[in-house]
Amino acid sequence: MHTIALPRQNIKFSYDIREGKNLLNILVGQQIFIESPCGGRGSCGKCKIKHLGGDLLPLSDDEKECLTPKEIADGIRLACLIYPTGDLEIDIVDQEENHRVLTGGYVPEYEPNPAIRKKTLEIIKPTLEDQTPYELLFAKALGMDQLPWDVLRQITMGEGTYTGIFNKDQLIGIEKGDTRERLYGVAVDIGTTTVVAALIDLRTGDEIDSEAAINAQKNYGQDVLTRITYVLEHGKEGRDQLQTAIVDSLNEMLHTICERQQISPSLIYEIAIAANCTMMHMILGVDPLSIGKAPYAPIFVGAKDVKARDVGLTALSSFGRVYCLPAVSSYIGADIVAGAYVAGLHNRKDKVLFIDIGTNGEIVLSDGERLVSCSCAAGPALEGMNISCGMRAAHGAIEEVYFEKEQGFDLKVIGNKASLGLCGSGIMAAIRELLKHGFVTARGNIVKPEELEAGDPRLPYIDLDGKKRRIRIGEGPHKVLITQGDVRQVQLAKSAILSGFVALVKAMDLTFSDLDEVIVAGQFGAHLSVESLVGTDILPKAVRDKITYIGNSSKTGAYLALMSLETRREMIKLARDFNYLELSVTQGYERLFIECSQFKVK
Amino acid sequence: MNIMVKSKEELLQQLSDCVFEMDDENAADVAKDYIAAGYEALDGVLKGLVDGMNRAGQMYEEEEYFVTDLLVCSDAMYNGLDVLREHLPQETAEGAVNYKCVIGVVEGDTHDIGKNLVRIMLETAGFEMYDLGRDVPLQSFVEKAKDVDAQLICLSTLMTTTMPGMKEVVDILVKEGIRDKVKVMIGGGPLSQAYCNQINADGYAVNATGAVTVAKQLVGMA
Repeated sequence: MHTIALPRQNIKFSYDIREGKNLLNILVGQQIFIESPCGGRGSCGKCKIKHLGGDLLPLSDDEKECLTPKEIADGIRLACLIYPTGDLEIDIVDQEENHRVLTGGYVPEYEPNPAIRKKTLEIIKPTLEDQTPYELLFAKALGMDQLPWDVLRQITMGEGTYTGIFNKDQLIGIEKGDTRERLYGVAVDIGTTTVVAALIDLRTGDEIDSEAAINAQKNYGQDVLTRITYVLEHGKEGRDQLQTAIVDSLNEMLHTICERQQISPSLIYEIAIAANCTMMHMILGVDPLSIGKAPYAPIFVGAKDVKARDVGLTALSSFGRVYCLPAVSSYIGADIVAGAYVAGLHNRKDKVLFIDIGTNGEIVLSDGERLVSCSCAAGPALEGMNISCGMRAAHGAIEEVYFEKEQGFDLKVIGNKASLGLCGSGIMAAIRELLKHGFVTARGNIVKPEELEAGDPRLPYIDLDGKKRRIRIGEGPHKVLITQGDVRQVQLAKSAILSGFVALVKAMDLTFSDLDEVIVAGQFGAHLSVESLVGTDILPKAVRDKITYIGNSSKTGAYLALMSLETRREMIKLARDFNYLELSVTQGYERLFIECSQFKVK
Repeated sequence: MNIMVKSKEELLQQLSDCVFEMDDENAADVAKDYIAAGYEALDGVLKGLVDGMNRAGQMYEEEEYFVTDLLVCSDAMYNGLDVLREHLPQETAEGAVNYKCVIGVVEGDTHDIGKNLVRIMLETAGFEMYDLGRDVPLQSFVEKAKDVDAQLICLSTLMTTTMPGMKEVVDILVKEGIRDKVKVMIGGGPLSQAYCNQINADGYAVNATGAVTVAKQLVGMA
């Protein structure tokens, strides 16, 4: 095996030369995506990488055709045309559309050592001469003194080969026959809005299948606070309802996956869950009320290892386990600990900022020694909610917007349908273009038509609704308009996130230029281009070239916890190392919020 | 020096503009010029600074000004006020009603930017404000209102989880037998007129400028 390293992204992985794959395919196999419109046929010349070290065959004529002399001198190569023959060190070249998106999720290297193990044993039937109880026969074969009561209840009269299932050193189950070949776990990310579950083969670490669904708790409220309020108003019954909602969702998802893969749910032995602190309380049936009130102390933050049946999870082995990853505080949950771990914050020595953008923006900053985190109440605007023409990312949603003086607004619509509204990434793109072309000022005001000269290309798009100005970006049966109120909603969200970002950098006595990398995590973040993040001043333009994406690192963290006991220990340690900055009571926060409310994009 | 002394109207306009145009750096200097020229401090406050803040509030209403713009305007206003305050007449006019208002973010919530804005706008409108800050124990609202003989209590929260605290304040007022003496106004992101009716509060305002209108109605301020 040989390795390929991407030092700037802090990525290193091994590959097999014998498979004879080109570099582009090897990278894609690792979920590292480079723009390759021609599909790796060597014709478009887009999949540029920079060769930093290791041997490569000399430049081919096909490559020379696509590269400028300067690029050749700089060691630029085309990933689809090179076939690595040994250890290699490369960098991915920045492109307009390519932001080193590691969507499906970048997975760091780890030593496989799952908590769940199987071990076979032979039982010889007792005889009249030797009436040794079954408990002792099994215990002896497994090198134990006695069996736990749970396990005794699984044993019946018999003989032959059996398989013992262990959770760490604890015997949790006995199965008839040799079942070592079948050993599955599930890595789960429970978001406030969506739930993702991936079926993992614990022997190989392969992700076999995955399923995503809307969190059924949404019927009790969009955001965590509304759901906590539901519990506040409905007591124990409300708490049970919310637990049942998420548990039922998970059971259903697991059944769907098992059916699709023709695998019996009884072969799933463990579910590892990463989620925010509220979701974790709710799935374990623990009172979440204290999370919703100052001083925001949750009931628990530690990792939990419990019997799945006890929380109502039934779509797995009757003795299956649930492992919940550790959190830091009410607003820095296990999802963020998982993400920070996947991003390598526990052992990186450089200065890295990790940010998960959503209804709450969580930010973690490491200066190589200390970790400081904060949570910003951004509200749902960045996800397209509370926006007059906002909609979810479905057919008809505008997801990308460009403005050209001559052509006007050029829209990319999901499903290539007529535009109906804007999804989260669409609203961000729209605001970015409006700022870039001066439709909206740094203070967030839509420009007044009377201040523009006749013939200004912007004029035809500014609509008046009484005194209020709106910008018409989509035509057709459904007009898509951006109102002044929409801009204000985005401005509030961006002020909240940027002020958190700045507060952390200040708390560490750093400046933007000190940061070596800014890692954007989360499903939603993966859909926000560097152009949109910097172009709307959610992230300062000084970090533009340092932004990388890590995908659903919460799920990846759950996967690592499933696959390796060492990572569990390291995540627990990492969670303890977090410091937390409560922004709302930070000295001078209001001032900072004011400063961060300007769209400083120029 | 051959600088012409500016007219009172001119300086009042400048005071107003400093606030309205977010010029927090010059407001104090203009206020000093105004006093140096011997004009009345009270007019400087009401026809200068407060006028500017009212114009800013109007812009906020029309979505031309953002929340943070209003905060910067208020910085300018307070800078000017710091200069004018010591020149204000010591005693209020005979027979004038002093409207007093206790304001704070209810227990369990620490988000106070919205509350600060309402305090500023009410202060501008002529209320004597008693700001208890954030995460305020519910009983404290009632205690303070009794202490200063306030006509109005303003309760704010950004979180749904802490909304029930508002009802509790209303209930405490009832229990202490002073419900008819104090009006209760509520505001904040997750609130609504419906919630206001549900908990028997007296008024709900959707934003800081709306708060002024509602507050004036509640206490019968002209």
